Amino acid sequence: MKNNAVIPSSAWIFLIWLILMTLLPFSLILGMSFLQRTDLGNIVFAFSLKNYQQLFDWVYFKVLLKTLWLAFGATLSCLMIGFPVAYFLARVQGPMKSIGLILLFIPFWTNFILRIYGIVSLFGSNGLFNQLLASVGAPQASILYTRWGVYLGLVYNYLPFLVVPIYSSLEKLDPFLREAASDLGATRFQTFRKVILPNIKEGVLIGSLFVFIPMLGEYVIPDLLGGAKEAFLGKVMVEQFFILQDWPLGSAIATVLSVLLLGALWLQNRWTSKNQQPQSQELGHAI
Amino acid sequence: MRFRNPLVSFLFWMAISLLYLPLFYLVFQAFLENPNDWRSGFTLKWLIKLFDSAALWGPLLNSVEIGVLSATLAVSLGTLGAVGLSRISGLLPPVIQTLIILPILVPEVITGLSLLLFFLLCRFDLGFLTVVVAHASFSASFVYFIMVEQLRKLDPQMSEAAMDLGAKPTEVFWKVTLPNIIPGVMGAWLLAFTLSFDDFLISFFTSGAGLTTLPLKIYSLMRIGVSPELNGLSFIMICISTFLVLMLVSKEQSRKWVLRG
Repeated sequence: MKNNAVIPSSAWIFLIWLILMTLLPFSLILGMSFLQRTDLGNIVFAFSLKNYQQLFDWVYFKVLLKTLWLAFGATLSCLMIGFPVAYFLARVQGPMKSIGLILLFIPFWTNFILRIYGIVSLFGSNGLFNQLLASVGAPQASILYTRWGVYLGLVYNYLPFLVVPIYSSLEKLDPFLREAASDLGATRFQTFRKVILPNIKEGVLIGSLFVFIPMLGEYVIPDLLGGAKEAFLGKVMVEQFFILQDWPLGSAIATVLSVLLLGALWLQNRWTSKNQQPQSQELGHAI
Repeated sequence: MRFRNPLVSFLFWMAISLLYLPLFYLVFQAFLENPNDWRSGFTLKWLIKLFDSAALWGPLLNSVEIGVLSATLAVSLGTLGAVGLSRISGLLPPVIQTLIILPILVPEVITGLSLLLFFLLCRFDLGFLTVVVAHASFSASFVYFIMVEQLRKLDPQMSEAAMDLGAKPTEVFWKVTLPNIIPGVMGAWLLAFTLSFDDFLISFFTSGAGLTTLPLKIYSLMRIGVSPELNGLSFIMICISTFLVLMLVSKEQSRKWVLRG
């Protein structure tokens, strides 16, 4: 009865769908990134690496550096806020564990635009924050439509996606490790630095990459919270499609981001196959 | 054992309240007499006005229709895939595994752009159908993973017994497999519907100029500025989304997926 080689026809329907609706569109982006564009906006079918070279033009390179810096800062902040959250969830026992995880994720299943609008209502020029400042006579704080608006939006929207990998790394840790350390006379800080941190650093690094790379491609956050002057890689990418009609250049940026993500995935597979099962399953067990 | 470190639990609750603050303020704002002044007193007039306006019903109806159609499409495809591929013994080839996980893994911006490019090059008219198809293209993979888990719990002897008794593979599927995985199918449908209903980016890229879903409407109002209409729509959207998430969390099959965003 067991047939290893043949894929049943019902599965083919799904696989063909995936090939048509996922693989083919991605291949189009990849292919497009090697084409050229005339000044009139027509696409020319001639292989070139011009679009990738263009990313190193100062105009785009400046945007790239700025984006990397901003996303780096936001990832770092997510780590700093996310670590105690993950630590709490990993150490707490009983129903609080799943309640805490669910509490953390509910806001992220409300619409993405609403989360951004929430930030606008709090920090916009007529937002709650400025109303409170005005009521005590303090000058207005313009956070929105600067890079700080983008930063705030990034941290807010990506936080739980960094909590989860830290949480799973901490869960995997043998509890006896900590006990052994304290029995041997280590202080809490020493235990953290010398026992816990070295054991979770791979998981935390991978988790950070999976937050950092998608951040670079963000379009809506810089568009709605950053104002017109704040250039951002993801925004530049989308504008190539919608405003500047330079599909090849936009595709080249999308390809670079995808390749970076695949690299992170490859790294994760290499490290988890060395250790144990993937993270998703363990999160499943916790609930 | 209770949690000991008060600093860590303080930081946890602090972070959770900061996460909820913007959303709570949106709810609060929907009832303000003057949306730009938090002390202006409460009123229901904006919400009542909204219930009479086309700004709510048109986009809401579009969102629901797109959600229902794309979830049904995604559930059909994902279930077929899961049932079919589960007949293969052993691990799936990595190529197929990667293909299935790709739509979940790739950032929405890139999925959206690639679908846009695909639709434009195929000369499809952007609108209702392209959004339905685009939503199904990423939620089918979520459905697949839920269904694989459901099928794993199923006793394989049941379908083997049916086949021994002379049932054809299609009969086995309709009469034996499907009735047993129906709870999973419903959980997966709800997840796919929620993904579609809450989606902004993919709709933004694939909807063209004519079609407005609820999130798209909120986005376009946001570009104009704060208004009672915008606050009211946000309030309604929050209510529906929260309701959907709570439904998902209450179902065992989909709970795990809520926690991965």
